[in-house]
Amino acid sequence: MMIQTIATAQSIAQAEALILAGADRLVVGEATYGLRQRGGWSLDEVREVTALAHHYGKEVTVAVNNLMHNDQIASLPDYLSALKTMGVDSVTAGDPGAISLIRKANIPYWYDAQTLVTSARQIQFWAKREAIGAVVARELTLIELKQIQRQLGLPIEVHVYGPTCIHHSKRPLVTNYFNELGRNESGEMREYYISEPNDETSRYPIYEDANGTHVFSEDLTLMAQLPELFRNELHTWKLDGWHAGERFVEIVALFSQARSHLLNAKFDRIEMERRLAELQPEPFRLGTGLLLRNPEEIK
Amino acid sequence: MRKRPELLAPAGNLEKLKMAIRYGADAVYIGGQQFGLRSRAGNFSYEEMQEGIAFAHAHAAKVYVAANMVTHEGDIEGAGTFFTTLRDIGIDAVIVSDPAMIEVCLSEAPGLPVHLSTQASATNYETLRFWKEEGLERIVLAREVSMEEIREMKRHVDVEIETFVHGAMCISYSGRCTLSNHMALRDANRGGCAQSCRWKYGFFEADELLTPAMEARDEEPFSMSSVDLSMVRHIPDLVEAGVDSLKVEGRMKSIHYVATVCNVYRQVIDAYCDNPDTFVFDPAWEEEIWKAAQRELATGFYYGIPTEKEQLFGQRRAIPQYAFAARVIAYDEASKTATLEQRNHFRCGEEVEFFGPGFTRFTQRIEDMWDVEGNRIETAHQAMMTVRIVVDHPVDVDFIMRKRKVMAKEAVPLKT
Repeated sequence: MMIQTIATAQSIAQAEALILAGADRLVVGEATYGLRQRGGWSLDEVREVTALAHHYGKEVTVAVNNLMHNDQIASLPDYLSALKTMGVDSVTAGDPGAISLIRKANIPYWYDAQTLVTSARQIQFWAKREAIGAVVARELTLIELKQIQRQLGLPIEVHVYGPTCIHHSKRPLVTNYFNELGRNESGEMREYYISEPNDETSRYPIYEDANGTHVFSEDLTLMAQLPELFRNELHTWKLDGWHAGERFVEIVALFSQARSHLLNAKFDRIEMERRLAELQPEPFRLGTGLLLRNPEEIK
Repeated sequence: MRKRPELLAPAGNLEKLKMAIRYGADAVYIGGQQFGLRSRAGNFSYEEMQEGIAFAHAHAAKVYVAANMVTHEGDIEGAGTFFTTLRDIGIDAVIVSDPAMIEVCLSEAPGLPVHLSTQASATNYETLRFWKEEGLERIVLAREVSMEEIREMKRHVDVEIETFVHGAMCISYSGRCTLSNHMALRDANRGGCAQSCRWKYGFFEADELLTPAMEARDEEPFSMSSVDLSMVRHIPDLVEAGVDSLKVEGRMKSIHYVATVCNVYRQVIDAYCDNPDTFVFDPAWEEEIWKAAQRELATGFYYGIPTEKEQLFGQRRAIPQYAFAARVIAYDEASKTATLEQRNHFRCGEEVEFFGPGFTRFTQRIEDMWDVEGNRIETAHQAMMTVRIVVDHPVDVDFIMRKRKVMAKEAVPLKT
């Protein structure tokens, strides 16, 4: 099986650069139906990026993974029908109501209920309901990822680079905080960070948008574990460019190179880790989150 | 007359189950020894469940079991047996969020009704329709759903809707927060939540990223701590929206909390449903609710997106706290003597309150007190000791005697 590299894209220009850097599939979307899509992709832009990706023989996935409220679900069929018409390759979705509508629209979907996707049996539930793959919880350990993939006939997406969302509130928590401080300003759509009480050097991105507030983990990476993923049929690699900025294209290129080195049996872990560390934007730490923990450690 | 919604109360143990029902709950939800989300709440063995079911059914009440863990590999082992056992001993429904668990329950324990847990964040009518068609009987909505959205859901789908009306809330969409996993190695979706949202965090703007720390920054730390929910003043709206079950949070809360909250909501629901046209909210109901409150109270997302006023920051108003002092275990009408089982220290000369099912309540000064041998005593200092006092008004078995605690600031959970 081929290794597929997936990257989030924020603009048409970046999308093309990501494809040239080796991304096989781009994830785009906007805030009504998708979660944490920086690009705020309009339907016209989705049409353009889909044509572009298809020109290069690559794919586009649109994030439809929001928790839909009534008004969003009411307008979703029109959105889906537009996506279908422009030939989008797949969508991600975790809301069962949205999934029903996606199946009616006959668009392939990746099951993506974020933190809740934690077992093969759960993914099989959705596979029986036409899911083509699953975006699994980033709280799973590598041991669990291997156990899950072994039981499935469809791919699970492994997060190999970038931050992941670890808290989604519908409340405007940054704006509320500013109001509490008497700072008369909105906290929406701007870059802020929080640090953990007992770890002053930690920097967790916190972002407020129309869907509320999102707290992200620190940057996760499985660069060093790519050979292990490769050996264990974990062949769908996701890179999230949340705050990697300009560097993100170079980081995607590095993972593409790592992939080809793996296929040619000349992967040099130390070298690849060193180069990734060089590209990692300051002051964000690069870690492995819960990925290398023993599942027993997490109570 | 209106159709009465069910009043659904938490029951952390058998005693709380009985008291919740005595104080007006139509149904209770409990945890089993597996598959729950409250590893620290008292959880029921099958034998205790059977006793609880017998008591509940004798009082025309129902018992639900929360099995809302989001399972990882291996966790689901034994779930089929668990569900069939629950069905066979007479549990009225299970509350589940994980589709894998739902599938096991529906396929291996047919006949056991399944309710979708709030943990699955059901927020729209298509999701309700999906789960109804899969065979679920009831949906517990996400706490982010507004009153208007509930009305809209009821117009689209005919399935039972349960909503939270009282208690503590996640500030995130339930299930969509893993702060605790990442910061404390405790899985929020498997019963380990460390309440990391309520911690105090440093806050940085993009150009301050290299700023060393919080120290010396003379400002309020960032926090994501929600006040508690109370819909006590809005029961008519919930009834008119067609909500089928009104849920009170708090399987870890005290008997005093469960009894007080059930007692009040029972009154409000009955008062409105019996006479919707002449219903007037009695301020005494709200006054009573505050006696079981640990934080400020608000209406969550029912009427809008919560602002900073619905979050806890810095200096907090101290809310008078009441303790469960004793439970009445016998009453002699001739001598007006109540026999009490002690739960918290009290003494002669103290002013206490008695309350019982049906919203009976009165203030009492403890004049004289006797132990079981009839010796006059000054203090009831020993846990579970039996004492007698004379009361000014009649009481009954299971009345609760509460006393006001010394004012204390609300506890902020510390990082563990």
